[in-house]
Amino acid sequence: MTIAVTEPAFPSTREGRAGLRLSILSEWTKARSVRSTWISLLVIVVAGMGLSALVSNIEAGRWASLGVVDRAQFDPVRFSQTGEFISQFVVGVLGALVVTSEYATGSIRTTLATVPRRTTVLAAKGVVIAAVIFVVTEVTAFASFFIGQAVLSAHGGRTLPSGSSIVTQVTSSSIPVIGITHPGAARAVFLCGIYLTLLTLLAFGFGFILRHTAGAISSFVGVLLVLPLIVQVLPSSIADPIEKFLPSNLGLAMIVVTTRKTDFAGVLMTPWMAAATLLGYTAVVVALGVWVLARRDA
Amino acid sequence: MIQAVRLSKRYGRTTAVDDLSFEVRPGLVTGFLGPNGSGKSTTMRMIMGLDRPDAGHVTLDGRPFHELPWPLREVGALLEAKAVHPGRSARNHLVSLAQTNAIPTTRVDEVLDQVGLTSVADKRVGKFSLGMSQRLGIASALLGDPEVLLFDEPINGLDPEGILWVRNLLKGLAGEGRTIFVSSHLMSEMALTATDLVVIGRGRLIADTTVSEFISSNTVATVLVRSPEEDRLADALERELGPGTVRRGEAGGLLVTGATAARIGDLAHQRSIALHELSLQQASLEEVFMDLTSEAVDYHGTSSVETSPVGSVG
Repeated sequence: MTIAVTEPAFPSTREGRAGLRLSILSEWTKARSVRSTWISLLVIVVAGMGLSALVSNIEAGRWASLGVVDRAQFDPVRFSQTGEFISQFVVGVLGALVVTSEYATGSIRTTLATVPRRTTVLAAKGVVIAAVIFVVTEVTAFASFFIGQAVLSAHGGRTLPSGSSIVTQVTSSSIPVIGITHPGAARAVFLCGIYLTLLTLLAFGFGFILRHTAGAISSFVGVLLVLPLIVQVLPSSIADPIEKFLPSNLGLAMIVVTTRKTDFAGVLMTPWMAAATLLGYTAVVVALGVWVLARRDA
Repeated sequence: MIQAVRLSKRYGRTTAVDDLSFEVRPGLVTGFLGPNGSGKSTTMRMIMGLDRPDAGHVTLDGRPFHELPWPLREVGALLEAKAVHPGRSARNHLVSLAQTNAIPTTRVDEVLDQVGLTSVADKRVGKFSLGMSQRLGIASALLGDPEVLLFDEPINGLDPEGILWVRNLLKGLAGEGRTIFVSSHLMSEMALTATDLVVIGRGRLIADTTVSEFISSNTVATVLVRSPEEDRLADALERELGPGTVRRGEAGGLLVTGATAARIGDLAHQRSIALHELSLQQASLEEVFMDLTSEAVDYHGTSSVETSPVGSVG
């Protein structure tokens, strides 16, 4: 019953439909056209590199006075990734805001009205924010790694021979510096970016489930900071077996190189196992987000 | 063409839309009228596939929203004017929308020009007035050059010039053969813009008709009479026309129903009562609307509604 009186403003009704590829393009435009994205990314880069230099500097000064146990836990890779502690909250806020800012203004309805399928919007937003965070955190992680090692070297550190054991490190007289080819080093730095990318998607999932900025960010912070505090006050018979499953400890497991025994989090998972576990958590939360988006009124 | 068939929507215990059926035809502006909270926005969200009806269905040119391959090119909607990230520029907002439906960027500049926002296209939307936000919302609805357009209270926050602009825009779009569905709680505005009317109250259909039919079939002609002997005249008229036909007007005089001005004049003459005024009062659309929806209004105000002549902007 359509009466076409005027010429359409542009060539119309092409084949196919408004799908994922075009929505990704649109979400990329949205992400780069608000200031908060750039500020957040800048914080990640500056905190990452800055804290790497700062902490490596402090730790280098402590080396001479460290005992055997502390020397075994002296982890030049982990020191270089200290910025991750701040970045995890930045990516959490960013991941949540990508979703909840649209619910706050009501523009989510405008967005959903552009595609036949709602899940296209979720997928497009997820792909864009994850890709942006992945690239920025990986670049930051590797840059921070090299900055950290450079600082240790400047303090008289010597690069450990690739494949050398922890014994070499403990008995070494000079500050250990780790090369990128050292076993586990590249993996640790790479997984630091993966950790932050997965956390972004975790907060992103909370955003779709809760639809409120405060709620989503609180949940995210709760999982990352409050949960470990609760576990700490539990009797150790209960706490010990679950400690390594905490997201914050999974993150730690992903980026340590020297030893998996810690005095504050028990024995950590192996790095790849930790990454897979965190991926599992994220998948569950995002799947819940998909379910809520598809089922509930927008 | 929009077809709603027995739509119902409940939120918890509240029934927002109740067994609502109507058709919106192409080539006309169809007004969607109802008091605040009567279910207009809910209905519009159901048309756009945003809220799922508990019963019934709604189609756009025969298809539900989720079967439209290129939604923006087929239906444009202004649902909430302020629904834009305040930190984004108007142009970037429109570009992001255009990209989803492979609409060329040149079209963004076209609609910006059409709604008069070209000069502020690169300003942050957060700095926009409500009127400018409405214009941006209208621009986003027009972006895909769609056959079906929905506007939820488009004149909110616009100045008189802006209102006139929207009125002409809607009529122009309808003139091009498009289907235009525009909601308002202002009856008088609809009288000037719309041809067809869908009237709802408490989520139920009250009328599905044309504006002119709606007025004529719901209006009772009232005659205002002023006389120095009002009491005697009132008695005489009531005896002749029946009880309840004569009321005292708020500003003095008598309001008489059930008789033409000529008959009232004749009756007064027979009894030698002098008349100082004898005039026919047209009930305004506002009054008709208020009468019809008074039982269907959820939240009553306390002040009564003043009589206003037909065609005034309320």
